[in-house]
Amino acid sequence: MAITEELTQLQADTLAAIAAASTTAELEAIRVAVVGKSGTLTAYLRSMGSVPKEERAQVGKAVNAARVAVEEALASAKDALAAAELEQAIDAAAVDVTLPGRAQVIGTRHLINRMIDEISEVFLGLGYSVGTGPEVETDYYNFEALNAPADHPSRSMQDTFYVRDLSGAAAAVRGESDVLLRTQTSGVQVHALEDEELPIYIIAPGKVYRRDVADPSHLPQFHQIEGLVVDRGITFGDLKGTLDFFCKQVFGPDRKTRFRAHYFPFTEPSAEVDVSCGICHGEGCRMCKGTGWLELLGCGMVDPNVLEMSGVDPEIYSGFAFGMGVERAACLKYNVPDLRMLLEGDMRFLRQF
Amino acid sequence: MKVSLKWLSEYVEVPSNLKAFCDRLDLTGTGVEAVETLGATFDHVVTAQVLTKEPHPDSDHMWVCTVDVGECNLDEAGNPAPVTIVCGAQNFEAGDHIVTALPGAELPGGVKIKKSKLRGVASAGMNCSARELGLSSDHSGIMILPEDAPVGVAFAEYAQLTDTVLDLEITPNRPDCLSMVGMAREVGAMYRIPYKNPLSAMAEKMEPVREGRAIDSTVSITIPDPDRCPRYTARIIRGVKIGPSPDWLVERLASIGQRSINNVVDVTNYILFLFGQPLHSFDLAKVRNAHGYANIVVRAAEEGETLTTLDGVHRELTPDMTVIATPDAGPVALAGVMGGLDTEVTEETTEILLEAATFCPGRTSRTSRNLGLFSESSMRYERGVDDWGIDARSAAACALIVEVAGGEVAYAMTNNEGLVDAWPKKTEPRRLEFRVSRFCAMMGASIPRGIVVEILKRLGCAVEDTEGDRLQVVAPTFRPDLEREIDLYEEVLRLWGMDRIEPTLPGGRGRFGTRTDAALANDVIVATLRGSGMNETMTYSFADPADMDRLGMTLPEGQLAVELINPLNSEQSVMRQSIIPGLLRSVAYNQARGVEDVQLFEIGTVFTTAEGRKKPKERQKVAGVLAGSLQKAGWNTAPVALDFFDAKGVVENLVRELALAKVRFAPISADEAPYLQPGRAASVVAGGTHLGWVGEIHPRALKAFEAKGPVAAFELDLGALQKSRNDARPYVEVPSFPPMEIDQAFVVAEEVTAERMMQVISSAGGKLLESVQLFDVFRDADRIGQGKKSMAFKLVFRSPERTLTSDEVERALAKLQTKVQGATGAEIRS
Repeated sequence: MAITEELTQLQADTLAAIAAASTTAELEAIRVAVVGKSGTLTAYLRSMGSVPKEERAQVGKAVNAARVAVEEALASAKDALAAAELEQAIDAAAVDVTLPGRAQVIGTRHLINRMIDEISEVFLGLGYSVGTGPEVETDYYNFEALNAPADHPSRSMQDTFYVRDLSGAAAAVRGESDVLLRTQTSGVQVHALEDEELPIYIIAPGKVYRRDVADPSHLPQFHQIEGLVVDRGITFGDLKGTLDFFCKQVFGPDRKTRFRAHYFPFTEPSAEVDVSCGICHGEGCRMCKGTGWLELLGCGMVDPNVLEMSGVDPEIYSGFAFGMGVERAACLKYNVPDLRMLLEGDMRFLRQF
Repeated sequence: MKVSLKWLSEYVEVPSNLKAFCDRLDLTGTGVEAVETLGATFDHVVTAQVLTKEPHPDSDHMWVCTVDVGECNLDEAGNPAPVTIVCGAQNFEAGDHIVTALPGAELPGGVKIKKSKLRGVASAGMNCSARELGLSSDHSGIMILPEDAPVGVAFAEYAQLTDTVLDLEITPNRPDCLSMVGMAREVGAMYRIPYKNPLSAMAEKMEPVREGRAIDSTVSITIPDPDRCPRYTARIIRGVKIGPSPDWLVERLASIGQRSINNVVDVTNYILFLFGQPLHSFDLAKVRNAHGYANIVVRAAEEGETLTTLDGVHRELTPDMTVIATPDAGPVALAGVMGGLDTEVTEETTEILLEAATFCPGRTSRTSRNLGLFSESSMRYERGVDDWGIDARSAAACALIVEVAGGEVAYAMTNNEGLVDAWPKKTEPRRLEFRVSRFCAMMGASIPRGIVVEILKRLGCAVEDTEGDRLQVVAPTFRPDLEREIDLYEEVLRLWGMDRIEPTLPGGRGRFGTRTDAALANDVIVATLRGSGMNETMTYSFADPADMDRLGMTLPEGQLAVELINPLNSEQSVMRQSIIPGLLRSVAYNQARGVEDVQLFEIGTVFTTAEGRKKPKERQKVAGVLAGSLQKAGWNTAPVALDFFDAKGVVENLVRELALAKVRFAPISADEAPYLQPGRAASVVAGGTHLGWVGEIHPRALKAFEAKGPVAAFELDLGALQKSRNDARPYVEVPSFPPMEIDQAFVVAEEVTAERMMQVISSAGGKLLESVQLFDVFRDADRIGQGKKSMAFKLVFRSPERTLTSDEVERALAKLQTKVQGATGAEIRS
């Protein structure tokens, strides 16, 4: 058989084999067998020396033509097969996307601090600075400088934890002491008035203590956020506007506030602030005990005595102060049924926030 | 304080809408804590009017009437419809106003009213007699009401048989509101309506009798220190008969929750609640001496004196308490707080010495608190009882005692009042200025001057209504809280209405909010801990004094625990010195509930003090505990039990995020930290600053806190973290040339620490060694020898300037191997 015929036959066989190949691996085997280093077609090239001179050109051309045909067929078959195989591989790799992901476990923020963050954010936005104060105070900062001197009847409003005073000083009343766990963050007002430049716009979140046995609605330690503003021309309207803005920011734009006249020794006039019940929207329900309102915080205009004790002239400056219970705010917002959960460290509770 | 609205309405018009009234009280500063309804309710018994009256067709004495009951009976269309009632009474005519019981009513005695037929005529109710209503024994006919009586109103409401009692929260600045008359004045000011004070009419009824011994030759009053007792008055009533009180008095007291004791004591209580004036009645026979004199001294108690008070408790007195005493009997009462048992009025008493006085508020409050003895009297005295008008209030009491217990008020030689009066310290009424424009500016509202004046007057102030901005105001002596101009502002604001002030936000050019560096550092710490899978918690700041022992922790020499004088219980009697005990309790709490995976942290204060120190030292700590595993077994993850290295990893994250420099973890011995398991504990040091520790809690300590181990933990000083925090992040060129990575293992003795190896390798690697990472630690007695370990490091060589050649790297590695061998005795493993 003439070489060219052999070549024609080889090309035809190879193209048939390529067409029949079902995997890229088979194609590769064909490639190696035909056009690889020691492939059958390559062998014709190698053996060109033994081809008679006059036929060389013709044979060479035929070999090359066969080679091009095979390689083109291989390439196109390969593309087709590769696409099919990729299709298959993709099909095979499909997963149940509802299976859980491989997530890094992220820890949680305590509800109370979450609430403090949220409130601080509102007041930072209003241009307030955020400060702190000590948890153990002297009588002066907790009571006296707040216009509640010794034997003031307002002192029995709060049950105070007294700390043993090791300085040798004795208290006037048996069982009391000049050193105590602060019952309110209001002492921060005095520290701020003593230490800060006017005008003052601060809030101070912190832990406070009152001698209440822990039950679903009381804890002997809880948190307050104190706010103090002292500036020229501060009005009661400013106090109302500020707290109204705060309530809407934290509890929602449809909430209303209500100011009830009250008494605190260190503010004059004083008020308690209620926020409209978020469950019944003021109609009255179990949450708000039928009143439509939920008590939220105490506030008032800073008493001129407090300003004077810290050397601020009440004829020039006025201001307002407020103090809110964070646990209370958190309960209102997140419906926590039992305050004691806040101190138990139950993972099942903490992981909710 | 309980206020009966029936009683109150004798002195002021109480609004009929109870809810609106309570809201108004709330808004103006008198909190309504509870509302209670007392008395018969008489359901379905209503006021009515007879429209027609016809003889009964089948009876010679009964009448068939149509009766208008207003809206209490409606026809099918919902319009008021008269009812037909067959009635046997003879004393009424058409047009008369009567009381009708409709079907459903149940009258006293159990009579139930229903629709019925009387001799063939349907009757839908009954016209009632006073006896049928249980109001009197009058059965002569049905009750005829006055012509102006309304029709179709619940009878109980019409006849005011029910009473509503409010429990009010009176703030400590308002002693004047601790009485019925005071509340009447307050309500008058709230609604700007008049109120009636019954005091002078009651006091005028008292008539001393010129018989027997005059009071001023029987009683003398001495007050050595007027600050303790600004005014003390006494009257004598002779010939009283102690017995039960009349019904009206019993009912009055009962309506505000007070039990009747006897007629004399009940009168003193009545006056207390009516006028806010505490009174004390002594049995004169028990306070006078052998010569018939009662020489009363209001003085400081002497050290060592005792008194048995009315409640039967024997009390030791101290000089800061004030007593009523006589030279012969010693202390007979604790001034302003409680009387003595020995001189109290008993059934045998016939002569009464009636004390009406005022005492120093501060001392009363202190005495109460010192003795834990609080009474209706002390509550009023510690807030301030007006020294003016005491004589009239005492006279009103005497007149009433004579009325209910008989007897006569003893006369006085020196006055017509039968009074002995020591008044060494008179309260001068305060004159205050009220600048209307300043008030309006401070409130942020324009409040009419006329309203200001009216409110102040209604509250009892005298206002000199001059032209111009400044009002001259004289505050009444019963308002000790009105001391300054600002106090008047509050009164006007609350009564004008805080709700009427327009809300505004303060201006403030150039104001901006800031947070402290410490707070910013805390944010980083919390974010890092949360990113490490830790959950923030809070535990009690209180601790059990035994906690530190249980844990095995000791305070540094000279530091003491902070003790509470009045703890809630012994397990919470000191302030915590470490957060760990609280966290271990939470671990145990979770484990006891089947929650084994616990990762908690807390940022909080710990407290210590020292001998001679007044205020304790407060330090902030951040502490964490890790138990169980971070993740439950998942379909593609296996749980990894948490241990020392997880806690250390958390601390390492903090070190990275706070960019703390030169941090070292050094082993701590059992002596230094008995609370940690030896060999699995390290102290954490940044440069020269001790930050805290990380380690596994000692199994002994875990057992003491009933927690299952292992529990890995850390406690770091927050202040030190905040201070050591590095905010700067200098830019380092991102490498642009390829690295050469070589894995190299060294076999070293057990004692050689990872830290030491890292240090030696890092310094031996030269400039080209970019990083070293330990990736394997491996022990095998047979292959590498007893007491030895193989540590494998990934060494990354790189130059910032060029691609390294293998020659360069091999030279650097050879040098590194030699140096590491020399420094640590390591063998090279290939």
